[in-house]
Amino acid sequence: MPFNRKPQKFNAAIKTVEIGSGDKTVTLGGENVLPFYSFDGEIKNGPKVGVEITDLGLDHEIAGVKAYYEGAATIGEIAKKASEMEGADFVCLRLIGGDPNGENKPVEDLVAVAKEVADAIDTPLVVEGCKNVEKDSELLNKVAEALQGKNVLVMSAREENYKAVGAAAGLAYNQKVGAESAVDINLAKQLNVVMTQLGVKPESIVMNVGSAAVGYGYEYVVSTLDRIKAAALSQDDKMLQMPIITPVASETWSVKEAMATEEDSPEWGNQEVRGISMEIQTAAASLAAGSDAVILKHPQSVATISKMIKELI
Amino acid sequence: MSKITFQFEQGDPVVAYAADGERLLEVAQKSNVAIDAPCSGNASCGKCRVRLISGELESKKTRHISEEEYENGWRLSCVSTVKGDAVIAVPDIASAYQSRMKVADLSSAGEIAIFEHAKEQIMEAGLELKNSMRVVQIKMSQPTLDDTMPDNERLTRAVQKATGIERVKIPYSVLKKLPDVLREAGFHVQCIIRITSIDVFLYDVLPANQKATVGGLAVDIGTTTVSALIIDMLSGEVLAKASAGNGQIRYGADVINRIIESVKPGGKKRLQDAVIKETMNPMIANMCQAAGIKSHQIYRAAIAGNTTMEHLLMGINADPLRMEPYIPAFFKTNSLFAQDIGLAIHPDAHIIVAPNIGSYVGGDITAGTLVSMIWNRPEMSLFIDLGTNGELVFGNFDFMVSCACSAGPAFEGGDISCGMRATDGAIEACTIDPETMEPSYHVIGEEGTKPIGLCGSGIIDVISALFRGNLINPKGKFVREGRRIRHDKYGMGSYVLAFEEEAGSVRDVEITEVDIDNFIRAKGAIFSAIRTMMNYLDMDISMIEEVYVAGGIGSGINMKNAVTIGMFPDIPLEKFHYIGNSSLTGAYTMLLSTEAEKKTYEMARNMTYLELSTVPTYMDEFVAACFLPHTDTTMFPSVSEELV
Repeated sequence: MPFNRKPQKFNAAIKTVEIGSGDKTVTLGGENVLPFYSFDGEIKNGPKVGVEITDLGLDHEIAGVKAYYEGAATIGEIAKKASEMEGADFVCLRLIGGDPNGENKPVEDLVAVAKEVADAIDTPLVVEGCKNVEKDSELLNKVAEALQGKNVLVMSAREENYKAVGAAAGLAYNQKVGAESAVDINLAKQLNVVMTQLGVKPESIVMNVGSAAVGYGYEYVVSTLDRIKAAALSQDDKMLQMPIITPVASETWSVKEAMATEEDSPEWGNQEVRGISMEIQTAAASLAAGSDAVILKHPQSVATISKMIKELI
Repeated sequence: MSKITFQFEQGDPVVAYAADGERLLEVAQKSNVAIDAPCSGNASCGKCRVRLISGELESKKTRHISEEEYENGWRLSCVSTVKGDAVIAVPDIASAYQSRMKVADLSSAGEIAIFEHAKEQIMEAGLELKNSMRVVQIKMSQPTLDDTMPDNERLTRAVQKATGIERVKIPYSVLKKLPDVLREAGFHVQCIIRITSIDVFLYDVLPANQKATVGGLAVDIGTTTVSALIIDMLSGEVLAKASAGNGQIRYGADVINRIIESVKPGGKKRLQDAVIKETMNPMIANMCQAAGIKSHQIYRAAIAGNTTMEHLLMGINADPLRMEPYIPAFFKTNSLFAQDIGLAIHPDAHIIVAPNIGSYVGGDITAGTLVSMIWNRPEMSLFIDLGTNGELVFGNFDFMVSCACSAGPAFEGGDISCGMRATDGAIEACTIDPETMEPSYHVIGEEGTKPIGLCGSGIIDVISALFRGNLINPKGKFVREGRRIRHDKYGMGSYVLAFEEEAGSVRDVEITEVDIDNFIRAKGAIFSAIRTMMNYLDMDISMIEEVYVAGGIGSGINMKNAVTIGMFPDIPLEKFHYIGNSSLTGAYTMLLSTEAEKKTYEMARNMTYLELSTVPTYMDEFVAACFLPHTDTTMFPSVSEELV
């Protein structure tokens, strides 16, 4: 009997969210097939790759990353180079310096950094806070205000501060909002429900459903992504049809496989190769499970993952 | 050592001596000063507040006590340690649980109707309303010089003849009074006996012309509340009814904390004394007075409680119940007598104990299932007992499955800052005007009673009203502002039901986001258990045909509101039936009818027990259910329809 291909068609689709302004905007989502199932239907907007930079500069970065940014002295120059990286669709600025338990930089300084970055690049921008709930409420509010008109994605609103972050970014200043939950389909949906009830349009929300580095309980991440996509497409669950963005670099570059030096673990081989490997594996798995965008750091990872996306779609 | 004096609003002060650094709550417990501590002293419930009159305490500040209250001497006893001599006032709020023993007024038909109804149903099911207690008239020939048979043998032979049973046991208590009674009555007596197919036990002998009362005691031992009845074993008539707080509550609000306490040296005895000597025996004394009988005229008892309560009642090590693989000492026991545990009724009275099914589905559930009658119906029925634990039984006359979920004490007002049991001063029903956000409520007690707190049914109403009026979001967080909504310095929102001047207590009656969150978890536990059990049977929620709700949540539970918040499945409201304290009714039925007692044992044996913790999807279901009404709104069509 000849093989008869039966496309798996869904009557629902992931919503599209556009970030950035001007010529170089990026559209996330829009697909109505399972991840990379381009044989079932057209995937108009393939998954996107973002490049992560932080307000702390390059001092703590690994050699290959430092080498790429060589010559860039200011955060604006770093951002420019990031936006020009091969395979990069957008830039993600993490304002980790704001963490009260870390450098505790004042909000005004961080807003200035964000402005400098936004002015330096013409690709879309994602701004991540410092992960401290209280600080982020204020910081992301001010960032959203300062970057009006740039249509940035502000990450993240969490259950604890969605009112402050969601109201500022999604309502007052007309930016896009990241909705962050902790690797649980129900919590992800609940946050989307309360955010939309607040008045944020579903088309302005991008989900960050949480991640982990491969090998660090990553099965939960895959299962969560999988089930969200399944519910969004097969059950037409409107509150789970927001595209998903997964910050990968921040997870993978902080585990021991990426941090242990070669002197400490000679049997593991070159540290940078390991780190890149962790980053690529995690990103590839996240995309295969349903993420619409990943945020990476190393130029080699960015190039590899964007090539993978091109070849599969 | 420092001298700590506890003062009360009523009664004599208690003086205790304690070392510096000792926790005040423990000092109070050691000296038998009752301070309500549902969270076992974790500073999470805020119930154990006391007032420092003089001296000093080392206290931590918590969110439960405002700056102003702190200035006025209010402290949480669980986070206060002794630092020199001190005088402490224990407020009535804290001692309330113990004192409020209530002997019910049986002149109202409502109190008795439920038992009459249970009797009818048992008869309809074809079970005989007969037990082993009898009164037999015995007429013996008087002894003479030619007939020198001793008194006990004379009586034994007469009883043998009257009952046709060879083996007759006459205990010392009867033997002791026998010569006097026989001669006073001219050898014409009546005997109160327990008769089985193989033997006769003679409880009492009295002259034939005296009134013979055969009393029976039915008890429901709840983790929080103990309720009891005294009945006439021959007619089934309820002679007295009472309820009181379980004295064990001072050792923790839930079964786990009680078990932990019982494992400490002397703990088993302490917990047994707390429930028997401090709780049940005073209740029995009060009920006997109301019924006009003597406590030794109670010849038989039936007790239903959860597995832990039954173990602690008997002074049996309950520790294995809380540890894997969760094995009770018994499911069913037939060998318990009043004198074994010091229950103040006839010392030889046999105690029927409702059988357990698992370590978390106990006799209260088997007894409750008996009177829910789901075992006798074709309809797929769900029986829910809302107590400190939520237990579910689902099935019909072909099969039954049971499971338990830990709902926490929220349904009985625990873990809720203004929560209380359904007694005087509790708001039991409430609505909130969505426009003005002003509440109107009904308070338990005489007309004009001011509110002190919220009981389970009141909390359901309040949360439902807050949700419907869009005052809170589906996560239970406040999203509107107004006179009655306020935020503390940590940003936690709350809704004030009654400001201090409107309330019958020293503080505002309010419900906070933490309370709402606790309650959402409790209702989430119930609903996710229902879902998980139905999924396990491969059945949809919509296949539930009848729902029987039992428990001390308050008789006025508003089913519509319970569905609105997603606690119960969204099926037509007329399918819900509130059956009150089914554990007590079940104990009553087992006491009265030997066939019903046997039926309960049989039912318990045949019931399948589903351990939810072994079902991988339970946690997922739980998180999904911790939302108003549910993360998957398609399961609550009537609610979403109304809210749109």
